[in-house]
Amino acid sequence: MKQPYQQSPQAHQALYAARVTRRLSTGMDDLPYDITERLRAARMQALAKRKVVAVQTAAVASASGGAGTLVLGGGNGRRGGFGWWQPMASALPLIALVVGLVAINIIQDDDRTSELAEVDAALLTDDLPPDAYADPGFVQFLKTSHSSESR
Amino acid sequence: MATEQELSDFLKSVEKRAFKRSVYHVRNEEAALDIVQDSMMKLAEHYGDKPAAELPMLFQRILSNCTLDWFRRQKTRNALFSNMSDFEVAGEDGDFDILETLHSGESSESAEDSTRRAQILRDIEIEIQALPARQREAFLMRYWEEMDVAETAAAMGCSEGSVKTHCSRAVQALSRALTAKGIQP
Repeated sequence: MKQPYQQSPQAHQALYAARVTRRLSTGMDDLPYDITERLRAARMQALAKRKVVAVQTAAVASASGGAGTLVLGGGNGRRGGFGWWQPMASALPLIALVVGLVAINIIQDDDRTSELAEVDAALLTDDLPPDAYADPGFVQFLKTSHSSESR
Repeated sequence: MATEQELSDFLKSVEKRAFKRSVYHVRNEEAALDIVQDSMMKLAEHYGDKPAAELPMLFQRILSNCTLDWFRRQKTRNALFSNMSDFEVAGEDGDFDILETLHSGESSESAEDSTRRAQILRDIEIEIQALPARQREAFLMRYWEEMDVAETAAAMGCSEGSVKTHCSRAVQALSRALTAKGIQP
């Protein structure tokens, strides 16, 4: 039969360990002055290091100008995504410029072609003025074209 | 994100224990101070922006890594020098304790008590230093830092079963050694 106050091996182990560590903690309070002072100095140095990091981060964010929004947005540990977006963002204006130039070129070509077509159509559909028949060049033109056709 | 005050309070709460733990591992106060300082710097520099709740686990991990780094560096040095420095530190500590006791002991009864307490502490510390490194690390993290099994396993980079085994063996070894010396902690 199990005794009412019998401890499990784990509980006994934890209890023993707690007694040992309590002893260790008492020794921790009696550290020499120079050790505690050096630990304090180390702590201060570490905290100063943290400050420098914080200031540097702020400086980087403010110095990046137009891309400032992206820097601040991607600064929370998502450096992978940010690294991919930065070249994309800087290439975007260049791509827009090239696309714009190509579009303008195509539109201008179309305009010129349609203008020429309009002039040609107007010339072809217009009536021939009577002066044209009296023009010696016109007669010559008719002769040459006639002779070349008959050949 | 932990504020500067939170980080400062956290470091203040762990620095002494971290120092003593490092001393148990490396048996050299100067080296232990360097290790603790390095760990504090790394925590503040790289993880100063983490939430305050995450700091204890991060610090334990950094402290373990810094201790390991120290052992790696020691491996490359002359074994004779490290042995000599071990003897020097042990000697200085012994002298220091005795002088302290002699100067501060006005009342014979309290002096006797404090000497006895200091002696028990010293014996316990010696036995902890004598434990195998992994057992000592598991024991100190689990019972002194009061981390649970999962946290200890994460900080040590091993399974929870290994932590339990290390702790159990460490307690058995300590119990056996201290009982043999007639010490009941």
